[in-house]
Amino acid sequence: MILTDVVSLGVALMIPMLWAAYGETLMEKAGVLNVGIEGVMLIGAFSAALGVSTAGSIYVGLGFAIGAGVLCGIVLALLYVRLGTDQIVTGIMFNIFAFGLTTTLAVEFVRATEVTSFPRFEIPGLAEIPFFGEVLFDHNILVYAAFLAAPLVFYVLHRTWYGLYARACSEYPRAAEAAGLDVWHLRYIAVIGGCVLTSIGGVALFASSGGFVSGLTDGRGFIALAIVILARWNPYWIVGASLLFGVSEALQFQADRLGPLGDVPPDILVMIPYIVTILAVVLARASRYPPAVGVPYRPSAKAS
Amino acid sequence: MATRPEPAGVPGVPVDRSEVAARVRGWAPSLLRTLIALVATAAIFSALIAALGVNPADALTAFWEGAAGNTFNFGQTVMIASLLACTGLAAAIPFQARLWNVGGEGQLWFGAFAAVTLALILPDGMPGWLAITITVAGATLAGAFWGFIPGILKATVNANEVITCLMLVFIGIALGNYAISTLFPSESNQTESVPFDRLLPNIWTGTLVTAGALLALGAVLVALTLMSGTSLGFQIRAVGLNRNAARISGMRTGRVIVLAFAIGGAFGGLAGAIAVLGINGAVVAGFSANFGFLGIAVALVARLKPLWIIPSALLFAALRTGSSGLQAQTGISATVGEILVTVLVVLLLALGVIRLRYAEAAQ
Repeated sequence: MILTDVVSLGVALMIPMLWAAYGETLMEKAGVLNVGIEGVMLIGAFSAALGVSTAGSIYVGLGFAIGAGVLCGIVLALLYVRLGTDQIVTGIMFNIFAFGLTTTLAVEFVRATEVTSFPRFEIPGLAEIPFFGEVLFDHNILVYAAFLAAPLVFYVLHRTWYGLYARACSEYPRAAEAAGLDVWHLRYIAVIGGCVLTSIGGVALFASSGGFVSGLTDGRGFIALAIVILARWNPYWIVGASLLFGVSEALQFQADRLGPLGDVPPDILVMIPYIVTILAVVLARASRYPPAVGVPYRPSAKAS
Repeated sequence: MATRPEPAGVPGVPVDRSEVAARVRGWAPSLLRTLIALVATAAIFSALIAALGVNPADALTAFWEGAAGNTFNFGQTVMIASLLACTGLAAAIPFQARLWNVGGEGQLWFGAFAAVTLALILPDGMPGWLAITITVAGATLAGAFWGFIPGILKATVNANEVITCLMLVFIGIALGNYAISTLFPSESNQTESVPFDRLLPNIWTGTLVTAGALLALGAVLVALTLMSGTSLGFQIRAVGLNRNAARISGMRTGRVIVLAFAIGGAFGGLAGAIAVLGINGAVVAGFSANFGFLGIAVALVARLKPLWIIPSALLFAALRTGSSGLQAQTGISATVGEILVTVLVVLLLALGVIRLRYAEAAQ
């Protein structure tokens, strides 16, 4: 059944972008724009590859990636928040840095191994349902965790004191500070947490591509930036938007079964997700960033 | 943080001594911070090199050897600098309007795609100089088109230019790969070679320096004239300083936004023409070692000033060819060059040496 195959593959392919989009949402909802998302993802994927090469276990890789995510978060928090460097330019520089670092280190340390993914796990009972069973309940653990993370991210942002305070920092940091909040600390937490989630997206990407190559992410982090805008910072909508991009990416792998698409050269099919992204950004024209996103904040209490 | 006083002075009025002193005081910390950034970059890089098992002193020698050790290698540095100067302008001009053209890489690839297509399909009997002219112009226009897309989307539906630019990067690369795999396939991992008489001529015997370097130089002069000698350049800067003020004073900001992007893109497309006609003679898979993105670094270090793009591009080109030398000598991947460049630029940003002018911040 071709539809099942395309959607099922789409679900698998959307997961890296989904994790990255959660991470980006956490950060933007605290007022930090992370254009370096692509680099963080790449470092996450590399760390997973490193864990697999050295310890032979993807779980060690996941651990490495979480650690690397924290490190990236600390560095980026220092730059974006503490030093207040321009977030777009710093992010782009961070991406090139991550590309250089992971490519250089991969030559030295990453070996091809057999273990590259998480074991597939069918949910008993649910996997029997026609269509939805195969599409949703026959994946690896990182996929299920990604879906369960949506309510969790929503809860953190909209039902906890942290989420309320962080959102204040993305709307009107001066007022947040006047209310006694420490804008910098709230943003540090968001950047580090967001980088960990983004880095896990890198692990998911590594797990679904069967090995690490230079520049593995190929724009998926940037697509996640668009997903966040399209979904208007709502974690549930992010799941839906990610599926759109997962499926648009899956089309190229199933093209030979899709009639006329089969005649299109693969190098053209590769463009589909990128074109869809541009269309998405155009269609989401009414979607506005929270006002303080991307603007470094200088607390009046700490002004020098 | 010390702020640099605005250089005062009216033509014909002698500058007050104390004012000169103030200017020196303003510059000195900036110079000091530049030195700190350079030293810190060198330290971080040495540590990384040592961790990879190479003596930093040997690495430095290999680096110098690759960048400027002999005339030939220096020629390579000059050619890479020509590319970086063009992609640097591609970033610098829209940045002056505070538009984030981070798609120089895509404009470069699309320009290269257009260049190889034109050079290979123009009729056989055409004189070489004419074919070259058409190809270079076509690639420049193609780049302008690739810049026009995010520009018009920004001006009309306020689409986020960072995302559209980055997506066009990947589409541009895919088109380049399409030319390699399907349109003009060859034995190796590149397109068919462009006929010899349609390549830019060599201008320095003993090296591979071609007229592409002169094109880059010309591009810098054009950008300089545009930015400091035309009303469009003034409008671009005005939009960058305060978009609302520019609009209220009667400038058509939408038009300025589109033009700034298209002009930036044109320089990126020119870089693609130089790469194809002046360096590789074809579109080679992965020919751009992030040259489009590094153009952003070039533009920042040049503080977005067209003339400063030249030394800035030479510096970053030397870091690139130096890394290739390092790879040849030690086997460390030449991508360490990217680490070196970005660490330096981020430190310069963090220390406040590179500052992007802001209009009133949102708060």
